[in-house]
Amino acid sequence: MSLTWRAGGGIIFQFCTGGRTLPGYSLREVLKVKSRALLAAGLVAGLVLFSASAADKKSADYVGVYSGEISTLNYLVSGSTSDQEMAANMIDSLVEYDRFGILKPCLAASWKNSDDGLTWTFTLKPGIKWVDSKGKEVADVTAQDWVDAALYISTKANASQIADVLTSVIKGAQDFYDGKITDFAQVGVKAKDKLTLEYTLTARVPYFLSMLTYVSFLPVNGKFLADKGASFGTDNTAILYNGPYLMSVYEPQSSRELIKNAKYWDLANVLIPRLIYKYNKEAATLGPELFLRSEIGYAAIPSSILDTWMKDPAKKAQIHPAKTNTYTYFYALNFNPKFKPEFEPDNWKAAVNNLAFRKSLFSALDRKAALLTEEPYAPERRMQNTVTPRGFVSAAGKDYVDMGELAAIAKKDSFDKAAALKWKAQAMKELAGKVTFPVKILMPYNSGSTEWTNRAQVIEQQLEALLGKDYVDVLPQAFPPTGFLGATRRAGNYALQECNWGPDYADPQTYTDPFAKGSNYNWPELATGYGTKDKPVYEDLIQAAIAETKDMAKRYALFARAEAYLIGEAMIIPYKNGGGGWEASKLEPFAAPFAPFGMSELKFKGQTVLAKAPNAEEYAKLEAQWQKDRTAALAKVK
Amino acid sequence: MIKYAFKRLLQSLLTLFIVVSFVFLLMRLLPIEGYFGDRFQKMSPGEVEAGLQKMGLLDPWYAQLGKFYAGLAKGDLGVSFIYRRDVAVTKIIAPRIPYSMGFGLTAVAIAMISGLAMGVGMAKNKGLFPDKLGTLYIVFVHAVPLAVYLLFVQLYGSSLLGLPILFDKHRPVSWILPGISMSLNGIAFYAMWMRRYMVDELNKDYIKLARAKGLPNGAIMVKHVMRNAYVPLAQYLPAAILATIGGSIYIESLYSIPGMGGLLVDVIQRQDNSMVQALVLIFSSVGIIGLFLGDLLMALFDPRIKLVKSEGAR
Amino acid sequence: MKAPDQAATLAADAALFEFADYDAGEGERGGYSNYSYWKSTTKMFLAKKTSLFFLVLLGALLFFTFVQPFVPGQRSPTTIFQDPATGMQFRNVTPGAQFWFGTNSIGQDLWSRIWSGTRTSLLIGLTVGLAEMLIGIAFGAVWGYVRRLDRVMTEIYNVLDNIPTTVLLMLLAYIMRPSFKTMVFAMCAVGWLGLARFVRNQIVIIRDREYNLASRCLGTPARRIVLRNILPYLVSVIMLQTALSIPGTIGWEVFLTYIGLGLPVQIPSLGNLVNEGRMIMMSPELRYQLIFPTVITSLITISFYVLGNSFSDASDPRNHV
Repeated sequence: MSLTWRAGGGIIFQFCTGGRTLPGYSLREVLKVKSRALLAAGLVAGLVLFSASAADKKSADYVGVYSGEISTLNYLVSGSTSDQEMAANMIDSLVEYDRFGILKPCLAASWKNSDDGLTWTFTLKPGIKWVDSKGKEVADVTAQDWVDAALYISTKANASQIADVLTSVIKGAQDFYDGKITDFAQVGVKAKDKLTLEYTLTARVPYFLSMLTYVSFLPVNGKFLADKGASFGTDNTAILYNGPYLMSVYEPQSSRELIKNAKYWDLANVLIPRLIYKYNKEAATLGPELFLRSEIGYAAIPSSILDTWMKDPAKKAQIHPAKTNTYTYFYALNFNPKFKPEFEPDNWKAAVNNLAFRKSLFSALDRKAALLTEEPYAPERRMQNTVTPRGFVSAAGKDYVDMGELAAIAKKDSFDKAAALKWKAQAMKELAGKVTFPVKILMPYNSGSTEWTNRAQVIEQQLEALLGKDYVDVLPQAFPPTGFLGATRRAGNYALQECNWGPDYADPQTYTDPFAKGSNYNWPELATGYGTKDKPVYEDLIQAAIAETKDMAKRYALFARAEAYLIGEAMIIPYKNGGGGWEASKLEPFAAPFAPFGMSELKFKGQTVLAKAPNAEEYAKLEAQWQKDRTAALAKVK
Repeated sequence: MIKYAFKRLLQSLLTLFIVVSFVFLLMRLLPIEGYFGDRFQKMSPGEVEAGLQKMGLLDPWYAQLGKFYAGLAKGDLGVSFIYRRDVAVTKIIAPRIPYSMGFGLTAVAIAMISGLAMGVGMAKNKGLFPDKLGTLYIVFVHAVPLAVYLLFVQLYGSSLLGLPILFDKHRPVSWILPGISMSLNGIAFYAMWMRRYMVDELNKDYIKLARAKGLPNGAIMVKHVMRNAYVPLAQYLPAAILATIGGSIYIESLYSIPGMGGLLVDVIQRQDNSMVQALVLIFSSVGIIGLFLGDLLMALFDPRIKLVKSEGAR
Repeated sequence: MKAPDQAATLAADAALFEFADYDAGEGERGGYSNYSYWKSTTKMFLAKKTSLFFLVLLGALLFFTFVQPFVPGQRSPTTIFQDPATGMQFRNVTPGAQFWFGTNSIGQDLWSRIWSGTRTSLLIGLTVGLAEMLIGIAFGAVWGYVRRLDRVMTEIYNVLDNIPTTVLLMLLAYIMRPSFKTMVFAMCAVGWLGLARFVRNQIVIIRDREYNLASRCLGTPARRIVLRNILPYLVSVIMLQTALSIPGTIGWEVFLTYIGLGLPVQIPSLGNLVNEGRMIMMSPELRYQLIFPTVITSLITISFYVLGNSFSDASDPRNHV
């Protein structure tokens, strides 16, 4: 063994020193010649290989990078958005939204609702097929598929993360989940015959149809599910498809590819032949560069390099503002303070229960300055004066935020310097002797987010400058990202905190969930000074609205009143909506299904890949056109 | 020899047991909400409980540990719950090892050959320009943070040479840049080590004697210097080769290589207990085996070393 | 020869000779050499031009880092600066008269951020280095000197050595929530092993030498033997290891920040600054945000490295002239 090692080492050394192999040449010269030759050979080889490997993607395909890998294709259990994005494009539901946000039949041809609103009957389209990952037909889609899905989700042992959406509305489902009943036939989902599906609800739910687009109400082929058992959804061959796309390539942490489902019932509307995703952990950093080199068709432009792109005309021509979504952000004032004595919780509690104090904070918060930290160009488009966003729901031709007292609030920016100082004076008068000034305001923020960190500093400096350090002392406190909410909001460990909420269904009730009794946002039910005829308890207002299930216009009006009350009493300060930022995208805008909540916006059905990414002006034109068409379409529905 | 190997094996098993159990217990201290991600906000307590039950986290810790070792005895590394739900851990890890090892071994080979050659060249031209150039390279590689110059090489290397930014297993031309990047650090290490070693050796008396006797330079290098250099190299080599299983986290995340590198960081962040335990087991075993093989090789090469009585701790 | 000539020659050369007197004191004097280990080390260390250069550079860097806040006209590293004319934040301003190193994407002054970050990183590095030194020496000395504990401690060492460092660092950071203290604690927990093993090996070699046996016979307590006889031998190597651990700590800090477990964003540190700079690498006019922290990090790393190596070369008695 030692001989071969020596010989091996000898060869290396002969090469390096040139002692025996190339007599007369010094080491330096040998290395120079050899390395030059190697480099030349390498370059030639590289060029040959490069030109030989033709690009195998066509321009009509969509190519993107992603950094959040999906954890499973089992859409019956997963609550994560990246997983749901796949399900949205591979499995169809009973109903779907079109590009104007109008509910249309999808796998259900028609439906009817009983008079008491508790029974919904759906008639399915005939001839819809389940296919496997190669596109081969496996079975028909029948009503039993929804029953099997509901059974799987309602079985606690399967640990579905989206079970509560189903168990909260379907009769008997919660009992089945908790084990109180064991016969699934008692649960309110039945297949009357091959194409007739019947849902029985526990109570009248006006927005039930919108819930059907969510993962909890997707079908699954029971026989296939039983065959696969625990390996259902573990890769692309372990599920069946009935949607516009099926997954042909699944390589976790590497790439995935979806191709058009040739047996899809609505094939004419599926315009992108292939969706190619490449995984890259550094997608945020490399994305813009990859887009410039035409290797991908979509990149989000982070705000740190946005300025560079806006200053370069060639780059500026390729980006446009990204859509906002229905996530809502607001600043909550805590009525149930449970923080350390050094931040004076009792002092805060006394102050926050004073209306003038709350209104002074409400008027003093310069939301635009805060928003500039993350949206430097045109921050107004993300500023929101209500909790429920505009365009979420409408009834009787009127948008929700234009109803009743809410209309005035929706139009007015809460920031008002003069009003803030006026309320400050009044608060100081009313609270003199009861509260020590300056009032300490504990404001936690997530230290993992650069933008939030900066926003906290901006707000601290702004509030103290406007209201004076004799009045308030804002104390931003950093908390780490792991377990952030558990350490701050949920534990009552804050005085003023930026919170967010996303809707679960298409009804204004969803935006009252954080403030309802039993929730853990800011406990408005603990506010003192309410309960009289002029000053009703907020909780009562919500309950009155929830009770109204027949007349939608009346229901929405009652919710609007409750929300106007919440904001008017300055229990929260509405801030902004989610989404936004800028993107470079070749996807045709406003062609995808539009819905106020759920997975519809994740669908690629109806979209095409344009040759050139629209710039900001073209985007604005398309948006105006879409708004016009939408209004016309909505009018036709009513 | 056999007795020594057997004793080492037992010791290693004990060490492994303690290491894995220790990490296991550490993992139990992680917060519960980390297991569920963003969805945790909207989940009901029943759903949370069902999820924890499925992950086996509601049993007392000794029961969990016992279950893990029972499975291990059967060769079952467990099932992932969060990273890829319901998929066996072995099925997740197995396809990734060839990528990491492929790149890693190539990088080690390039690094060793280029680095040793460079080190020799530097030592021969000590104080002259090639030496200074080499030192500059070594200093640069050590000084500038890895994260920075790797990204730099990726972005500018790919645009200058016209190579694709991301790794694509169907396009061999995309394998070049990651392979070279991975070896940059190694080249510097081997060059520096070799240079220092050679400088030390060439000053020794027995070399002077050999020169005085009239032995040509090349023969001195091969028969004396390199022969002695193998010993410390051999000790290090098995560990280096086995370490390639771990993959390079920076390179793999930059080039989208589906290897083992980012896997560990990912599964710890997502709190996938079974994956973390399996990976810790694998990496620790690899480390122990590497050390053991290194000692063996070292003893094979150097007749002066006897394994039985070793002063150093292993 | 002729006798009268001899006496004359001797008398004439008398000036060339003088009597060698017998001096009792001279006989007592032993072999004398004015060799001082430390003097020689210092001389060798300072003789090399590169080490002198880096010593001065590092000294200047350290001095300025800690003096910078007291220089008049300095800004706070965390305050966001707004242009009074437009009300907008001073985002991504290139280095110039107003902001010497420019500003970052939110409007914070990069000059003060970099010095503050260097302070934080150096503080972490020095604290960790010092802690590692103390723990490593203590553990290594006990391990090496007390024979009875050898088996147990070897086993402990093996276990700790085999836990992948990444895993341990990450888990500790997760459990204890990322912060300055967590980072210091986690890196100390991981770093002292190497030094401990080295100290232990050296002690094992030295403890059986005759002068130590003699001390034991005389009844010197173990602690004194270790402190007075053995450790002084190891000072040079310990100093080298500690010096090299500081750039290592900074490297680990950059890594932890890369995977998201670094210091909270509002505490500037070299790791944070480098990672923030990475995001904008491709934008030529923003590149200064990456260059400045990288240059400072590199200078610190190189300085400690070169100094450490020079010191180890200089303190090797074989190199002393």
